[in-house]
Amino acid sequence: MYSKLVEIFGKENVSNKQVDLYPYSYDATENEAHMPDYVVIPENKDQLVELVKFCNEHVIPIVPYISGNNLGGLTIPLKGGIMCDFSKKMNRILHINENMMYVLLEPGVTFGQLKKYLDENHPGLRYSYPNSPPYASVIGNAFLSGMTNMGTKIGSMGDSINGLEAVLADGTIARVGSCFYGKDEADPDSWWCRYPIPDLLGLFVNWQGMTGLITKAAIQLWPNLPFKQPFLAVFFGLTDVAPFMREVAKADIVDDVVGFSTEVAKMEIGIPDPKRYPEEPAYTAMIPISAKTEKMLEAKIEILRDITKELNNKGTNIHLIDYNEFSKLYHKKSRTIYDLPAVILSLYEKSGLAWVGTYCNSGKFEELIEKTDKLYEKYNVPPYVMLKIMKQGHYGIFRPIFRFNQFDKDDKKRIVDLMEDILDLCIDEGCIPYKTPVWMAAKMKEKINPGWLKLFDKIKKCMDPNGIFNPGRWDT
Amino acid sequence: MLSIHQPDDLISISLHTILSYRKDEEFYNLVKDWNKKVVIHIKPFYPVTVIFERDEIRFERGDQKADLKVIMELDGMLDLAYGRKGLVSVFLKGKMKIKGMYKLGAVLKFKKIFMTSMKMVAKDPNLDYFNVPTK
Repeated sequence: MYSKLVEIFGKENVSNKQVDLYPYSYDATENEAHMPDYVVIPENKDQLVELVKFCNEHVIPIVPYISGNNLGGLTIPLKGGIMCDFSKKMNRILHINENMMYVLLEPGVTFGQLKKYLDENHPGLRYSYPNSPPYASVIGNAFLSGMTNMGTKIGSMGDSINGLEAVLADGTIARVGSCFYGKDEADPDSWWCRYPIPDLLGLFVNWQGMTGLITKAAIQLWPNLPFKQPFLAVFFGLTDVAPFMREVAKADIVDDVVGFSTEVAKMEIGIPDPKRYPEEPAYTAMIPISAKTEKMLEAKIEILRDITKELNNKGTNIHLIDYNEFSKLYHKKSRTIYDLPAVILSLYEKSGLAWVGTYCNSGKFEELIEKTDKLYEKYNVPPYVMLKIMKQGHYGIFRPIFRFNQFDKDDKKRIVDLMEDILDLCIDEGCIPYKTPVWMAAKMKEKINPGWLKLFDKIKKCMDPNGIFNPGRWDT
Repeated sequence: MLSIHQPDDLISISLHTILSYRKDEEFYNLVKDWNKKVVIHIKPFYPVTVIFERDEIRFERGDQKADLKVIMELDGMLDLAYGRKGLVSVFLKGKMKIKGMYKLGAVLKFKKIFMTSMKMVAKDPNLDYFNVPTK
């Protein structure tokens, strides 16, 4: 096997040394570590075709890996096999179409890399960035339906994918989306849409690498509007944040509206174990606004102020603050949550980081906040909660976050027990975990309708008959 | 050497940022052995008692018996910090009140310690590292 891999990738791009494999065996989450058998570093799709053919013939697992930053344990090689690390050499920005506003890129391209490239070469365009470090993967985030700092405007990143190229289990290279014309390479200016053909992207989005190896994809960019003003809102009532987020999203005036429990706001600036004090606001929210003209910006701000006033007249206690000014007087680290992509160091300082990140019915924000709050209190853990309204109010994100010490069994167990309680609550409320770890998927499966599960199994078997692509995910 | 305790509540963190900005001797001499308690209440938030004792500054949530009580609206505070309005104007608009005003020496010293530092933080271009265009 080693010599075959060397034949495909070259000796310097293959390893089975423990020291090289170890970093691929674990991540920051609660999910148990497992060692792979090999790591390979691909450079082009021809190598990937050879790899997939070989692995399919000999039933050897392949786990796609970019930066391992997902919070679902999604690249831990549950069944061993070959780690396919795209981050080292398949990290090229291949094309930008200014007119139709998309970027064609390889899986290893990071948020930091893309931002720098756009700022330097296409300042009129922007991407949208998640609360992830600059070294996290753009494609990884998009294909796992991550959310970004334009989520309120544009929705899930899964919706922003125009097309892809993938290596299927039998070694076929398939192009999906408007790039589907042509026998060989597609015209780089043809990756502009995924419709009106059958939407085969669904065979790859959210499948966690279980259906094929993606070699490139086109993802939408957005106009980088010149006038910007972020606001901070503080909420003194526990659930005041919920109606505010819903109303602001529907007004079509903001790029994003993301709420944080005050404990998150304090943790982010480095307070080691933030406590809740009754006089503090329960939640804060970040509201970036951008506009084409100054007048447009002023109009948007006026609407934002009117919405706040109207809600306060109905009994909420919400205050709007100019974030640029306040953050300077508050703490310079507080900028990291706005100037994305950024490394929020305090998220990682305890070595363990996990979440029950869910898509949810935003009409249930109040209920979710109150019930989750009680569970955090029961376990004596600060309530780290983040929420967001997506696509102008069509759905929401409810994301309790957990930090723990990976090397302290009791601390880890306490957090995992809390996560399980919160997960049960969220599933009961109809929430859907994303970037789903195996144990969460197993719990979801208990409640998913049998028809869906049958269809899921059929598609998985069709796309990956020998179970070589990231096996074990979704309890497969 | 001045010792400024790290607080963990939202408003004290901001006061800590402002009061730990200056490292110059003038600031040290102003603060050292002042031995006063000042309540700073930034509305809509809650009062914090800032305790100046020997060469230490500490923060305690809540309203205590103090030498001075400064109550200001957050937008008035930002107007002051960013130079849009002067102290008199903020007072006249009712956006700031000081209880213990008759202790003129203490008021003036507080102005030098807190207000001056706040303006310096707001003005410091090095803290604009993010370089985000504003309105």
